[in-house]
Amino acid sequence: MNIREMNVNGQKIIPSLELSMEKGKVLGIQTNVQRKKILLAQFAERGDAYLSFAEQGEYTRLTVEELLRFMKSVSGHDKPVHSMLQLFQLGDYHKVKIADLPSSKKIYLSLLRVYYAQQPIIILEEPYFQLEEPDQLAFKRLLEELSEEKQILILTANLEDALISCDAIYRLDEAGLHLLDITDAEDEAENAHETGEAEFKIQKIPTKKNDKTILFNPPEIDYIESINSSAMVHVAGETYTCALTLAELEDKLQHYGFFRCHRSYIVNLQKVRELITWTKNSYSLRLTTGKDSVVPLSRTKLAELKELLNI
Amino acid sequence: MNVSLKRIQAIFIKDYKEFSRNYAVSIMILFPIAFALLYRSEAGDQAAIYAFIMNFSLAMLTSFVQACLIAEEKERNTLRSLMMTPASMLDVLIGKSALVFLISAAVLAFTTYLFGYETSNVMLLAAALGISILLYTAIGTICGLYSKTLLEASLSVFPVLIIFTAGPFALAFEEQYPFLEVLRYLPSSQLSELLVAMEVGAAAGELARPLVIISVWAVVLTIISFILYKKRLMDQ
Repeated sequence: MNIREMNVNGQKIIPSLELSMEKGKVLGIQTNVQRKKILLAQFAERGDAYLSFAEQGEYTRLTVEELLRFMKSVSGHDKPVHSMLQLFQLGDYHKVKIADLPSSKKIYLSLLRVYYAQQPIIILEEPYFQLEEPDQLAFKRLLEELSEEKQILILTANLEDALISCDAIYRLDEAGLHLLDITDAEDEAENAHETGEAEFKIQKIPTKKNDKTILFNPPEIDYIESINSSAMVHVAGETYTCALTLAELEDKLQHYGFFRCHRSYIVNLQKVRELITWTKNSYSLRLTTGKDSVVPLSRTKLAELKELLNI
Repeated sequence: MNVSLKRIQAIFIKDYKEFSRNYAVSIMILFPIAFALLYRSEAGDQAAIYAFIMNFSLAMLTSFVQACLIAEEKERNTLRSLMMTPASMLDVLIGKSALVFLISAAVLAFTTYLFGYETSNVMLLAAALGISILLYTAIGTICGLYSKTLLEASLSVFPVLIIFTAGPFALAFEEQYPFLEVLRYLPSSQLSELLVAMEVGAAAGELARPLVIISVWAVVLTIISFILYKKRLMDQ
C-alpha cells in the first residue's frame, strides 16, 4: 500500500511510504491526530478499502436485530442474522433499540460494520478508544477471525490501544515508519530464563507498557526522566517506564551520545536543538522533537556539556 | 451505477422504521388530516381551499420528510458508511424517495377523502398530485443535501413552504405589483389553477397546460436533485 508524501506549510509531515500488508496479521500504525487524518483521507480515495471512522453514527431507532438484517441485505452478506447475533455476542440485546444500548455497546455495534465490508482491506480509526474491556476483548477476537481473509490496519494515536490487537505496530513520524519491537512479557521472561547465563551486550532499552515489553533502539529515545525514582523513557511524545535506574541507563547509553544533563535527566544529544539560557545560572535544552520538549540542564553539567560539544 | 431491488427494499424498510419511530418527523402526517377536518365544512370556494391544503401538505410533509431522512443520514455519518457497501447512491435515493412517495400518496388520498372533495376526473387529479409529489420529493432532496443536521433540514424547508404555499395567495396583489405575475408559474399556483379549472369544467386544452407546467417543474427539479446529490456526496 502506497502512502504519498504530504507537506503542510512547507513542513514535511509524512514522507512517501510503502506499507506491505498481509492476511492473518493485524497491522497498527501509531501516530498523532494530524497524520491520522491525512492517512485516512488518502485511504478514502482507494476503492478497495473499507474505512471505519471513529465518529461513525448509527441508526439509533432500529433494534440491533433490525440493523443487522439491514446490513445483511445491503451488503449481500450470506450468513443468517441469528448466527451473526451469536457470533457478535449480542443475543441478549437483539430486541433492544440502539439508542437504548450502553454507550460502549453502541460503539461496538458500529464497529461491527466492518464485518459486512466487501473490500479486501479494512482500515479502522481508534477502534478501542471508547470501548469497555469486555467489548474490547470481543472485538479483538472478531478482528483476529476477520484477518484470516482480510488485510486489517488500525490507526491510533494511542499505543496502548494498538497493543490490544496488533501483530505488528509501526510508529509514524516525519522520518517514516518505524517498526516497534514488541514481545509479550511472558515470552520475555522465558527467554531470559533459558539464556540466563550467557553474556550478551544488550543494545536495546527494555521498557514496559501494559504488560508488554517494548525494546527501543537508543537513537529512538528523546530523553529519559526520573519520576519518583523510576525512569520514564520519552519516545516521540509517548512515555514508557523502564525498570533500570538512571545510573544504569547512563552507563549503558553514554556510547550512544547520551548525556546526564541533570540529576534526574538523561538526554539524547543528537536530538538537542537549542541551549536556552534563562538567567545566568539556569539553563535548559530544547529538543528537535517538539515545541514543549524542554529538558533542564544543571549548572554543574554545563561545563562538561560545552566540552563535549566543543563550544 | 447498478441498482438492486433487494437493496432498495432494505433501505425502504429501514427508513420506514426510522420514520415511524421518529415522532418529531412522523407527526407531520397529522397536519394535512387536521387541515382537512378544519376546512371540510366550509362552503363555497371548495377547489381553492382544497388546493391550498394540498400545496401545504406537499411542502410540509413530502419535502420535509425527504429532507429529514437525508440530513439525518448525513448527520450520523451513516451515509458515508453506506457508500462503502455495494449499495449505490441511486439505491439509497430511490429507496428513500419511494417511501416518501408512498407515505405522501396515502396521506393525500386520506385527506381528500376526509375533506370530501369530489371531482369529475379522478385520473387527472391523481396524475397532478402524483407529479407534484415527485416534484416536492426532489425539493426535499435538495434541502436535505444542503443541511448538515436534522435541525438544519427542518429549517431549510420553511423557505420552500413560504414560497410555494403562499405563492398563490400573493397573486391577489398582482395588479399593484405586476412582477408577481411570475408566481403564476409556480407549481402550487398551477395546481390551484388546474383544480379550479376542473371544477368549472374547462376544456381539455385548458386543463393540459397546468399539468405540463407542473411536469416540467418536476423533471427539471428531479434532474437538479440527482446532479446535486451525486456532486455533494462526492465532496464528502
